[in-house]
Amino acid sequence: MRSNLGFVLHRLKKRIAYATNIAADYAMFIGFVLIAGIGSAWYMVDTGSALTTERVGPWVTWLSAARADADPYTRAHFARMGTLPMSTEVAQTLTARYDDGGSRLHSSCEYAVKGHDIAGSWWSLAVFDDDGRVISNPAERYTFTSDTIALKPNGDYAITLARDARPGNWLPTGGAGRLALVLTIVDLGLGSSEKDREEEKNPIPSIEQVNCR
Amino acid sequence: MTASELLARLPRVKLRVIAAALVAVVILHILATLAAPRLAPSTAYSRLADLLPVNSMKLLPVIAPGAQPLPFMGPDSRYAMCRFDSTKGPVQITANLPGAGWSLSVFSDKGDSIYAAVAQPGRRTEVSLVLSTSDERFAGLTPQASGQSVKEDRSLSLPAKRGVAILRAPDQGMAYRAINEAELKRSVCGVRGAVAAAR
Repeated sequence: MRSNLGFVLHRLKKRIAYATNIAADYAMFIGFVLIAGIGSAWYMVDTGSALTTERVGPWVTWLSAARADADPYTRAHFARMGTLPMSTEVAQTLTARYDDGGSRLHSSCEYAVKGHDIAGSWWSLAVFDDDGRVISNPAERYTFTSDTIALKPNGDYAITLARDARPGNWLPTGGAGRLALVLTIVDLGLGSSEKDREEEKNPIPSIEQVNCR
Repeated sequence: MTASELLARLPRVKLRVIAAALVAVVILHILATLAAPRLAPSTAYSRLADLLPVNSMKLLPVIAPGAQPLPFMGPDSRYAMCRFDSTKGPVQITANLPGAGWSLSVFSDKGDSIYAAVAQPGRRTEVSLVLSTSDERFAGLTPQASGQSVKEDRSLSLPAKRGVAILRAPDQGMAYRAINEAELKRSVCGVRGAVAAAR
């Protein structure tokens, strides 16, 4: 009688162990599929890849933003952001959330954004908080454009991103926390000669960290 | 389950299971990507829907903290917008792009770009669009089909049911603000018959 009970218990244990193994296998399978499937989609939509974005230093641009033939990742990216950017057929929109050294742009630091006027284009450079909101400041200054920026005689410019007032082209960052810089370049279709293109400097500005508090 | 137990389990994983997992990952990746726009908490169109009257061009106030209709909408420009609905008839949009930096963009309610144009420096660009549903275009209700010759009407006809037209005027400094605002106010958006009568 006792040996019978022991046998039944042994079989029951084996069946439970078998069922647990099967359940664990299924859980591993489903977990892997969920993490890899949704995670890879989230990464491609949020960050992009070489197929959908182009990176120049810390600047990122989505290659087919607001185009009729945009890929699903680009469509999903801008739908999730809730923005309506200018089409890459007529303009280029670059976003930077990091400085040249790879550190996250933050309002507790001061930055020097240095570049050169972009020939044959209208451009603007605006600073936002991490969620794309305009940063409140007493000077009511949020952006510089090719019409409003003070250029040096050779066409170079330097913009200072800082919490407190600075001489020259100063963009206040207040206490916004993490920052996002957006450079919009509208192509005016003027074209340029080969000589012009050779002489033209890199139009994408650098972002150097000056100091942090 | 510890990491060593997980590793001990790996040799039991068959090639068929790996292949099935990869196929499932790819399917889920595609479904998640395609579903992402629909799962967005609020689209640009839904945010603008409360602000903009239907089939009427509205000049938005200067972009400032607390007065920003969409994220990353910069104060580098003044905006006039029209939320169009062509289900009650073709919608006509006319705008002038007088100088560098001016642009007109038309988006569907799903955020897809339908049309984009920028001004050429030193040349005044006049844009006239007629937005109509695919059904109307199929039924021949385009301006040309309704009796106007192509020579008389230079409007570009586009298929679009609902969406937003955005006219951008660049911030050229204080001296130009009044001029640019007046030009933005001159742009027109409305059901085609009503626009023609108003002119």
